[in-house]
Amino acid sequence: MRILRINMSEETPSAKFEELGDYEGLGGRALTSAIISKEVDPLCHPLSADNKFVIAGGLLSGTAAAMSGRISVGCKSPLTGGIKEANAGGQAAQVMGKLGIAAIVLEGKPKTDDTYKIFINKEGVKIEKDNSLKMLPNYDLVQKMKNQYGDKIACISIGPAGDMKMSAASVAITDMEGRPTRHCGRGGVGAVMGSKGVKVIVLDDTGTTPRQPKDPEAFKDANKRFVAGLQKHPVTGQGLPAYGTNVLTNIINEVGAYPTYNFKEGKFAGARKISGEVQADLEKQRGGNPTHGCHRGCVIRCSGIYHDKDGNYLTKQPEYETVWALGGNCGIDDIDKIAMMDFLCDNYGLDTIEMGATIGVAMEAGLIKWGDADGAINLLHEVGKGTYLGRIIGNGAAFTGKAFGVERVPVVKGQAIPAYDPRAVQGIGVTYATSPMGADHTAGYSIALNVLKTGGFVDPLKPEGQVELSRNLQIATAFIDSTGMCLFIAFALLDQPETNQALIDMINAFYGWNMKDSEVMEYGKKVLKFERDFNTRAGFTKQHDRLPRFFYKEPIPPHNVVFMVKDEELDQLFNW
Amino acid sequence: MRIIIKLFGGLKANRDFPQNEEGDIVLELSEPIAVGEIIETLNLNKKPFIVILNGVNLVDFSTKVKDRDEISLFPPIAGGYR
Repeated sequence: MRILRINMSEETPSAKFEELGDYEGLGGRALTSAIISKEVDPLCHPLSADNKFVIAGGLLSGTAAAMSGRISVGCKSPLTGGIKEANAGGQAAQVMGKLGIAAIVLEGKPKTDDTYKIFINKEGVKIEKDNSLKMLPNYDLVQKMKNQYGDKIACISIGPAGDMKMSAASVAITDMEGRPTRHCGRGGVGAVMGSKGVKVIVLDDTGTTPRQPKDPEAFKDANKRFVAGLQKHPVTGQGLPAYGTNVLTNIINEVGAYPTYNFKEGKFAGARKISGEVQADLEKQRGGNPTHGCHRGCVIRCSGIYHDKDGNYLTKQPEYETVWALGGNCGIDDIDKIAMMDFLCDNYGLDTIEMGATIGVAMEAGLIKWGDADGAINLLHEVGKGTYLGRIIGNGAAFTGKAFGVERVPVVKGQAIPAYDPRAVQGIGVTYATSPMGADHTAGYSIALNVLKTGGFVDPLKPEGQVELSRNLQIATAFIDSTGMCLFIAFALLDQPETNQALIDMINAFYGWNMKDSEVMEYGKKVLKFERDFNTRAGFTKQHDRLPRFFYKEPIPPHNVVFMVKDEELDQLFNW
Repeated sequence: MRIIIKLFGGLKANRDFPQNEEGDIVLELSEPIAVGEIIETLNLNKKPFIVILNGVNLVDFSTKVKDRDEISLFPPIAGGYR
């Protein structure tokens, strides 16, 4: 496996392959964060030539390992000003792995505003100027690439939001059907790709074979045990396949942790109408599919395909956080309108969480009324067109809050807080406050234990035990994000030690390592150290590891609680 | 006393019970009984894994219900990933 470095500063951008060297043994988030931490000036402007844009598959990408389709992108974030890793499913990680590429690093910046496409296959790398691609939405762009290179490609691309270098711009990854539906959403990573002048990276693995393990028999055996463990667990084997992630709407609402009307209340009257149960029924009725993988080799299949009222494809099955952000958070209870907004975000290349939180702030400002789905759709079109209003909205909740003089702005380190209120679930508040990524539920998903009773139970309404919970989850997540595995395997790993061991056995068999369970945690700590170190050098202090003050002052109904974890306790999170 | 029972995530009762306009089960009880006992009475198609009583995740299923209590039942579920 090698690193492909592409220098975009040269008049004719050049590509060179190099060995992993010091980065040997790192994958996914570990690799993106190590490269950014070691090679990028933490004080650089995120859109400058000094920033780098890193794309990395995980340790097991391109192998026969089940669930190994996650891809990470990393850079200094234009949204948070700190280090960023955002990951997604789709086909690209596996194709990159089969091409023998551990990471693609886009360096420098074109001196003109030309747009480039990059084509990579087993013969090599072609970088071409193609200004006809500028401002194309993702779906049109990907279709154009398929017309040119055939249907079997995988694409990594940006939409107009990335072209315009907006801080809510995402990076799209094509799925099994070749649609740009899986997004490295958070932190404005699409803006950084856009600043490199790269619109799309087209990957073609024709003529390649999967990466081969050092010990094929042991690898095959471990993979078999791993898959059996996932299929046996009720969450990964039944719950997620049946309803997808949006099954969370009802339970988060029932425990009063569903932020609505821009984090003013913890229960939404319209929640049932936009729940995963309703969504799955509609998908079945309209000829869509509620049980579908986002990449080949997925055995959980929590994604799906959403059709409109006429039975035509509209978008992939919107995820829980998307339905919350663009729906419940804004007082919107029309699932078809929410699905349309999911499509628009994918097409324009936008983070659905950031957009939903931003529209909530815009509603708070009185720009449109609560529950106005058509108004919200119109705001997304404004972003796609790049009007002055759209450029405010497209730069996220914090920017929009400033533009319209709003006090209640739910962000940490400039990044919007997702779909779980940190007052009603104190553990996730600790993760939001302390993660080097800014507010990110996936960084340490305490909901698993605070609400879903997976891996144990920690009372969500009390501050006790939340720092330790978040710490352990953040460390374990940093490791899983480095393997290329979908984070959902964690539900089975938390409850079934034999499935956890199967994953470690699989990695050991592939690389010829002898990693122990305890070393997994050391691996995760190493990743977090890269990230914390970068942020410290970028100027972050412990005061940045805090929630907005209204979470400490305004009790949220129905539990009428505030965030109670003390600052001094938050400061202990990384003291392991 | 009257209590409301909400079933989610594909849970269904294998008996007919009175329902409100939301489709939730309405149980009229003459005396307080334990949540665990109520769950048994429902004869559900799957065993509920998460039991919410008035918005709080219940650990002790011997807790007795009061008038106007709401119980929400879920099978094992999860999500939380964009």
